Amino acid sequence: MRKPRIPARLSRPTKNVLAFDTVESINWRALAPIGVFFLLCVVIAIFSPNFLSVSNAIRILNASAIPVVLVMGATFVILMGSIDLSVEGIVALCAVVTASLVLNDTFASDLGLWAIPFAVLAGGIIGGINGSTHVYLKVPSFMVTLGIGFVCLGIATAALGGFPVRISDRGFRALTLGRTLGLPNGIWVAAAAVAVAMIVQERTRLGRYVYAIGTDETTARQSGVPIERTRVLVFVLAGLFSGLAGAMAAAQLGQGHALIASGRLFTTITAVVVGGTALSGGVGSVLNSVVGVLIVIVLTNGMVLMGVPPFVQQGVQGFLIIVAVTLALDRRQLLVVK
Amino acid sequence: MSDKQKELLRNLVPVFTLLILVLGIAAYEPRFLRPANLITVTADTMTLFLMASGATFVIMLGSIDLSIQAVASMTSCILAAMLPMFGGTALLVALAAGGLAGVLSGLVVNNFRIPSFVATLAIGGIMTSVAFWASNERSIYISDNDKSAWLDWATGTTAGIDNEVIVGILVLAALTAILSLTRFGRLVRAVGSQEQAVVASGINVNRIKFLAFVISGLMAGLAGIVMAARLGSGSPTLASEFLLPAIACIIVGGTAITGGVGSIWKTFVGALIIAVVRIGMTFVGVTVFAQQIVFGLVLVLAVAMTIDRTKVSVVK
Amino acid sequence: MESILELESVTKEFPGVRALDSVSMHVDRNEVVGLIGENGAGKSTLVKILAGIHRIDAGTMKFGGEQASFRSPRDAFDRGLTMVFQEQSIIQTLTVAENIFLGREREFLRFGIIDKRAMNAAAKVELAKVHLDCDPATKCANLDFAARQMVEIAKALSLDGRIDSDIVILLDEPTSVLERREIDLLFEIIKELKNKASIIFISHRLDEVLQVSDRVYVLRDGAVVHETASKDATITGLHEHMVGRQLDHRYYRENKQRQSLGKPVLSIRNLSIDGEFRNLSFDLSEGEILGIAGVVGSGREAFARCLGGLLPPSGGEILIDGRAVRLNHPHQAVNAGFGFVPSERKSEGIVIGLSVSENMTLAAGKRFSKFGFISFERERAECQRWIDRLRIRTPSTKTPMQSLSGGNQQKVVLSKWQIFGSKVAVLDHPTRGIDVGAKEDVYELIREMAEQGVAIILLGDTLEEVIGLSNVILVLKDGEVSARFEAPVGAKPDQIDLISKMV
Repeated sequence: MRKPRIPARLSRPTKNVLAFDTVESINWRALAPIGVFFLLCVVIAIFSPNFLSVSNAIRILNASAIPVVLVMGATFVILMGSIDLSVEGIVALCAVVTASLVLNDTFASDLGLWAIPFAVLAGGIIGGINGSTHVYLKVPSFMVTLGIGFVCLGIATAALGGFPVRISDRGFRALTLGRTLGLPNGIWVAAAAVAVAMIVQERTRLGRYVYAIGTDETTARQSGVPIERTRVLVFVLAGLFSGLAGAMAAAQLGQGHALIASGRLFTTITAVVVGGTALSGGVGSVLNSVVGVLIVIVLTNGMVLMGVPPFVQQGVQGFLIIVAVTLALDRRQLLVVK
Repeated sequence: MSDKQKELLRNLVPVFTLLILVLGIAAYEPRFLRPANLITVTADTMTLFLMASGATFVIMLGSIDLSIQAVASMTSCILAAMLPMFGGTALLVALAAGGLAGVLSGLVVNNFRIPSFVATLAIGGIMTSVAFWASNERSIYISDNDKSAWLDWATGTTAGIDNEVIVGILVLAALTAILSLTRFGRLVRAVGSQEQAVVASGINVNRIKFLAFVISGLMAGLAGIVMAARLGSGSPTLASEFLLPAIACIIVGGTAITGGVGSIWKTFVGALIIAVVRIGMTFVGVTVFAQQIVFGLVLVLAVAMTIDRTKVSVVK
Repeated sequence: MESILELESVTKEFPGVRALDSVSMHVDRNEVVGLIGENGAGKSTLVKILAGIHRIDAGTMKFGGEQASFRSPRDAFDRGLTMVFQEQSIIQTLTVAENIFLGREREFLRFGIIDKRAMNAAAKVELAKVHLDCDPATKCANLDFAARQMVEIAKALSLDGRIDSDIVILLDEPTSVLERREIDLLFEIIKELKNKASIIFISHRLDEVLQVSDRVYVLRDGAVVHETASKDATITGLHEHMVGRQLDHRYYRENKQRQSLGKPVLSIRNLSIDGEFRNLSFDLSEGEILGIAGVVGSGREAFARCLGGLLPPSGGEILIDGRAVRLNHPHQAVNAGFGFVPSERKSEGIVIGLSVSENMTLAAGKRFSKFGFISFERERAECQRWIDRLRIRTPSTKTPMQSLSGGNQQKVVLSKWQIFGSKVAVLDHPTRGIDVGAKEDVYELIREMAEQGVAIILLGDTLEEVIGLSNVILVLKDGEVSARFEAPVGAKPDQIDLISKMV
């Protein structure tokens, strides 16, 4: 029965099939962030012509590198309807791990670039703790990650007695400071992270299951999707990306300490929701989040160029979160909002 | 075991935990039990309690307020910045600013239907910006003159007892009255227990939620004022370390984040537990830096123990 | 012929209810079996057992000749028993192909990466079986309801060739939201599918059941009461088997049914909710009990929720004492005079964490407080009066709600509206899930409320209940009133009359 015939009994003018226009209707919600991004660029360019220079473009991309790596993980978590508030903790701890493993002023070690896999692994392990606690103790993710995030910050502080570790390995710092083909290496690392995340999202079971769980967990479970394993793995994935971001942060600043990631959580969540990924889960994509990061960074960059004091940024981001979440929310689904 | 006994046990566990901790420290250092010392410890705990007291209402709804530390820092800045020029009015403005933050959180949660943890995270960011703006990005010193003129109610002593303790107990009494004697308090409990049934009974649930967030903002504001008074300065990062212990003390006291169960005295006990644990860790030689690790773990474990899993079919 | 699926003496009990009572049935290879029964006859329990959601308490289930007990819906699916529910199990954000193979991507994995082209090609094959011509890479959100249903059937058929055993597809109310053309197409496809699979067809529409199936089972009160070949069956004959039982007049306190009614209270004019019900109009007087009969999907649940303020109307007028009222929010409905007793008692009727008295005064709280402070003594006294009057079994007014039995909880919900002073009580399945003795108490209570002049709208659990209690009965079918029966004492309409207007 490879080619079933159309039953002749129903001789209708139209073919006896349910035919569908398979051209997907243009998804304005998915395109809106890109529109916002360009609009933002135009507005800033009008007020500050310096904005449209190659060097500023590279500056923006460079500033986007770490946030992009962070949103790669955070997007999967949010697509699942959960949240990861431990970003700052993991980044800080992994930055400390990295700084301690390369040539530094505090510990006797010299792993060079080999420190990166350790940082990423450390992030993955913390992500695994997040995920398992959340899934097996059935504690809401925001609470688990809030607590574990603080634990990580505590470890990062306590391990060093409150002091930073300074990196003296120039070769390692090239991870973000060096250039390849004219672009800072951090940008290439971020691009690679996006490529990996895209493959995971589009071409692996994990990626597909994330959408299934975020859209309708009960149905996904009934279809045999391994909910628990997927949830844990997604938090591990988020931890891996945060670990990488930690290594990048250490390379960028040349040190590791507990406060290295201050403000990263806020930027990450802002970028993900501004990019159009819904907090309720199931809707969005890592590419959306890349656009989200660009919006946030361009806005920051623009405000700096226009002389807005830097402390306003957090307020603006808070405002952006509210606006973006409000626009992305499908209110019909929500009976009770807690 | 009947429901009543279970309830009693759940109420007593935090109290016994506190007693055991206190006795444990006393075994190490008998002087800890001196009345004067106990009052000092309580006084030191009151800012934490004030911050957590209002947020208890929000958590009892089944929501959360992650903006309290930002609100407290902001009011400390407003107070410190305005005291020299406006005197006592600064107190009212600072308190009102705290309330306003709660108003914003309430509006955003109700009208935009944004989950409270994101809404308050965002509002907290905005409040931090306000704090930086109000303080010109630095700590503001409060002069001794201003302090004795306007902040004595918070930092002085009355009949040998630190005023912080008196303020804390007054707040404890007032909020307990609101929670257990008023219709609003009962509805907070009802919304946290079974929101849909309350809605179906024709109650305007949004008003209840709104008021709870306002109380949370006001109390965080008050906490910021008392904190500034104690430290003699206001700064945009004054209270940043307080979010974790504040939420921890609510949960450790026995209020469940799933809502419906809880009280202000539980938060009071929880705050004392956190304070005593902190002192105990110092005795045992755990560095200040490592205390965050303990509190983080305590928070997750306490949530895991107090959460009502029958209420949530899908944990996100 | 060979039986693929065999149930023998299958029994399933829930606390206080025997949902399935020694049910035996079988489905043969390449056969379409119809399954019919009134609401609450046990169909959904049976479906959930077949789907692997519930386990059987006694009896045996054989699938493909072997003893079978499914651990989960996925387990049932993997062995060849698949369900197509009305509430679809399609993930809207995934593509057609991804939905068909959800949880079974292993076949298309190459080094952990999904080969989308192979998956889409395989999906195309399955889609052809149901004559659905769409790109397998389309997101399911872009398909309409009928097409998504076809995707589900295609998903079921994808087992063909992937497993050794036969396939049984269970279609639960598959036609309820389809257009005529789509129904015809579905039936054509079902006829074709008989070559590949056996089908269990559940529907309220008896004509469709007879048209499409070879054999029909009738369920009533959890038991199979009739089995017939479709060609020998008639619709009226099936109706008689669906009802059966005689009405017990004393049980429903018919002697207390009011003969003379008070002044008119409620007028409803052309009330509609898009997609649920249309142009509902009636008048209701004090002390009158209006029963509403209809199958699931007739719109009667939506109507009840509408009067509770939980589903805003999209058109029409509601007048209480001649005054138009708006019902966009529950508090408008409550203040207008409606008291809604929801069918989901545990989630919407009572607040589990509160005490008995706190639940009783939940709506009328303002009356028991001054400047926001509760007058505990006044509240306690009033609640105690109602506890005595309604014979609510509770140690005290302070007892937590969860320690009461279902029947007593329901009495508390009813007292909530009496204390508030609602003029119109909307009772959505007020006796659902409570035991027999408590049911009688609730009937008594409903009669008392009517006696005091409360107008009552009743969605009964069974037809007998509706007939026994009501003064007037409206029958809803596909969102419209299909009949209106007067039901005075001594001249109650017959169940068969009602059911013939319902299905």
